[in-house]
This record gives sequence, structure tokens and C-alpha cells, in this order.
Amino acid sequence: MFERIDPRSPVPIYAQIASRLRVAVASGELQSGDSLPSVRALATQLRINPATVSQAYRELEQEGTVEMRQGAGTYVSSVSSDRRRRDRVAEARRLVRDFLDEGARLGISPAELEQALDETLPGRIA
Amino acid sequence: MSHAIRLQQLSYRAGRDFALRALDLAVPSGSVYGFLGANGAGKTTTIRLIMGMLASDDGTIDVLGHRIPEHVVSALARIGYVPERVHLYPMLTVEETLRQHSAFYPTWSGRDAARLQHAFGLRADALVGRLSKGEAGKLMMLLALAVRPELLILDEPTDGLDPVVRRDVLAAIIDYVAETRATVFISSHLVHEQERMCDWVGVLDAGRMIAELPMSEFRAGIKRLRVRAARPNVASLPFRVMSRRPVLGQEEEWVVCDWRPDMRAAFDALGDDVLLRDVEDLDLEESFVELLRTSRGEVSLAAPLIAPEAA
Repeated sequence: MFERIDPRSPVPIYAQIASRLRVAVASGELQSGDSLPSVRALATQLRINPATVSQAYRELEQEGTVEMRQGAGTYVSSVSSDRRRRDRVAEARRLVRDFLDEGARLGISPAELEQALDETLPGRIA
Repeated sequence: MSHAIRLQQLSYRAGRDFALRALDLAVPSGSVYGFLGANGAGKTTTIRLIMGMLASDDGTIDVLGHRIPEHVVSALARIGYVPERVHLYPMLTVEETLRQHSAFYPTWSGRDAARLQHAFGLRADALVGRLSKGEAGKLMMLLALAVRPELLILDEPTDGLDPVVRRDVLAAIIDYVAETRATVFISSHLVHEQERMCDWVGVLDAGRMIAELPMSEFRAGIKRLRVRAARPNVASLPFRVMSRRPVLGQEEEWVVCDWRPDMRAAFDALGDDVLLRDVEDLDLEESFVELLRTSRGEVSLAAPLIAPEAA
């Protein structure tokens, strides 16, 4: 799940982990009651500072995505379908912003991107 | 904040060409501190001073509250150390090496040693002199961790190891830190590894500390700006310009530190035709390289370095 975590990205690692888990919950990849890896296990697996994993879990706990049970681990909370939809929309907007930024960096106009999208989309929607 | 390691105004001269000059360094307890520097910057010398293996000319060294070198024995009992070069007895087996090492440390954990020996795939009857470089590196790390230290001092612990071994070694360090909240002081020029693990960074160059700050600030504050039509000499700016390089046409690349997003406004004051086109993030390696270039004065500048105040 965390293959795309990139320590060189300007987005802090804790925020990348939190965002990946938030999307996994929003898309149904993770369900209410599923357990997350322990801080120690995830830090060791990703070879990152354990404090970074704790920070990601704390952020998700504060917003109600997960629940940290003392001594028993971290579990996905039950998140309303409305909230999951909003999180998916927010993620979609973020992806589009990145896509537009990358285009701008390469000197490709939004109109050209839109045209390419219109041409590519029909083949992708099954 | 308590410090696992604190160096104040530490000076040490080694021959004619190299000296540590008035070094200040503070490693917060519980941090994973990346000690960065090019080859020959003085990282190993600093570590040997911390370990009481060299005597300083001036300044003070405190490790886990013990003054070095006077109380070095008390400090060493609480430190796990992996030196830059492996030193082990080649005629002993792995098992004999563990027994010999354990005799020096009352805190030695046979259970941890056995667990790591298994995780690292080290055969008990293997002769140390016949171990591969990777196996010897893992054995050194095992010896440092099985002491159950409060402070790990690692001098280029993964240098020259293959990627698989490197992962095993780093995972063992992380696992130990997650369990114990020990402090880690890790010297390396392998910047990408540090970027994942460390929450503090200190940069040493030619015997001088040129930066020491939390990783998040280090990453957030150094940026590359693309600026159009700036005059060679600009008035004082709220951030520090480390370097300026012409790119194409009127465009220049500025590397700046102490940057905050609200500082874009500073460009409005520079004239109507001056334009801040883009603000780019640098990764740790790029920031590190820019810091070294600036510190060495290697940058060819259209204007002198602008430093509103020394950091």
C-alpha cells in the first residue's frame, strides 16, 4: 500500500502516509474495524522514523478516520459514506491540480490537456 | 530539552591541513540525528572525540550527561558504537565474538543477540575472518544493538554494503528505536537514507558546522526560486540568498534559505519588471549540495551573498 511513499517529495512523509490511508478508507480498500500495522512494524517496513508513523496515525485519529486503542493497536473507524465521498472528491481534486501543475511546468496549456483527456477517456471507461 | 550529545566550542587540530574549529553540536535525547558531511569533512574525527578515543585541544564534550574524557567509561557502558571500519578478531567464530563482546557489557541481551543473529542469517560457527563484507557489517550492528544502548553512534554504518544488507541493517536500527526510544547519531554521506530516518540534521564541512536544525525545517526552508529580470545588486531581502545562477535569457535560479511563503511579497518591492516565476522544493541531497557550495564559496555570484543576518 505504501509503495509510493517518497521521502524526497516536498510533502512530509507523515502527510503522505496519512493521505494514503485516508484514500484507502474512502475507496473501501480499508474497512471499518480493519487493523493498521503497529507503529514499530510500519516504521521498520518503510525504514522511517517511528515518530513519523505516530504523527500520521495521530492526525488520522484526530479527524476520526482511525481509533488508537491503548495497547491494542490502531483500527479503522466507521466513516460515513458522505465523508468517504468527500475524501474521494478531495483526492481527485488534488490529482487534477498535480496534473495541471506538471503540464504548466512543461509548457502544455490546460486546453491541450483537456483535449488529450477527452481523447483518452472514452477508451478508459469500460 | 536534554541532549544525548553536546559539544561546545570543540577544537581539535590533526596535522597541518585539518582542524575542527569551535564546533557546537547538540543531539536532542530521543532524536535520530543525521550527521552529514562530504568525505574528509571531519565526521569520523568528531565521533572519535565523542567516544574519548582522541583528546580535544579545547572545548567540552558531554555524552549522556557524562563529561568526556574524564567519565568516558560510564558513557561507553551506555553506548552502542559501530565504527567506520570493522574491527573484529578474524580467528573467532561468530558465537565466540558474541561471548567475548558480551563480557564487557552488563546490559548485554542474549535474547536480542540471538534474534538478530537469526534475522541477519549469521551462522554461529562461521569464522569472522571468512565473513563477507555485508555479514561483517551486520555482525557489527548486532554487537552494537545487543548491548541495549541508550545511544547508538554509527559511523557510516551502511557504507559499501549492498542494498539488501543495507535494508536489513537500517530496519534493525528502526526496530530498536521504535522499541526503546534510544537516541541515534548516524554519520553518513548517503543522504537519501538519512532523509527517511532522521528528524534532526547537522552538516559538517571542512571542520565547521554549517547547519544544525530539525529535518522538517531544513526541508521546508531551502528553496529554489526562478526569478526574471532582477538587477545584479538587490536591496535587503527577508530571506537569505545562498546562490544566484543565470539560466536562460533574463531568468536566474536563486537558492535561498529561511524561506516562508509570505515572502513572495518581497519581490514586489524590487521593481515592476522583476518577476518571481516559480518556487521549487529541493530534496535533502540538493539542499545539502547547495549548502556545501555556499559554505565553500564555490558559487560564482552575480552579486555578493546577501545575508541580512547570520543564521
